[in-house]
Amino acid sequence: MAVRPKNLREARDTYRTNSELAWWVFMRISGLFLVFLVFVHVFVNNISINVATVDYDYVASRLARPSVKVFDSFLLGFALLHGANGLRYSIEDYLKRPGPRFWAKLTLYVVTAAIFIMGVMTLWAFSYQEMGDAVRNLGSGL
Amino acid sequence: MYRGREGQWAYFLHRITGVALALYLLLHVFDITLVMYGPDGPFNAFLLFYHQWPFRIGLVLVIAAVVYHALNGLRIILLDFTTWAIRYQRSMWYGVLGITTIIGIPVLIKILPEIFGGA
Repeated sequence: MAVRPKNLREARDTYRTNSELAWWVFMRISGLFLVFLVFVHVFVNNISINVATVDYDYVASRLARPSVKVFDSFLLGFALLHGANGLRYSIEDYLKRPGPRFWAKLTLYVVTAAIFIMGVMTLWAFSYQEMGDAVRNLGSGL
Repeated sequence: MYRGREGQWAYFLHRITGVALALYLLLHVFDITLVMYGPDGPFNAFLLFYHQWPFRIGLVLVIAAVVYHALNGLRIILLDFTTWAIRYQRSMWYGVLGITTIIGIPVLIKILPEIFGGA
């Protein structure tokens, strides 16, 4: 689809399926949230500090905080869905032949799903504070 | 290829920054997941590699892409959901470029010395 709808009424007329209309709306709603989420994220982690000082300890201490876990979860979910859908638009615009289009989209979905699962695991499966405490308490538990 | 006026350039920049940011996002989430291997895992070596100056310049470009894509995205939302914005779409695009520059200058002043000051 080379020409995309210019407003909500045109979008309703253009998209034959409800899901395409839903994605059109989602891109705008998530975009609004992402302006806030990404600006805060970039300012905190890249502008207010020298990014060359970022190391394992910095990331671990941030991910140990519940507020960061929640904030980053919204960031991860919105950004991946927004980005993956944008890449899907691009694939559909530039890959016209069914074969390459199918494989490109399949690759996109598999990679996005894998990255999402790994991201959620990083945010929630590992509490560094608790992990450290558990390891330090190993001896006293015996 | 692009003989259109501002609207077409706005679209072209939105598309290319969007694709670049989406690909960066996938790489970025992947490298953060490396912390799962623990403090002696590959994370620090990976980051040390990316702390070289060409990648830090790349990160500045990522910030620029974020700011442009975000502001032009707000412009698109206004165009889509209001009746009046379309009359100002061209000047709003120059506004997007202007605000991107205004945000960019202090960010460059903060970050460039960190990259080239041996920090």
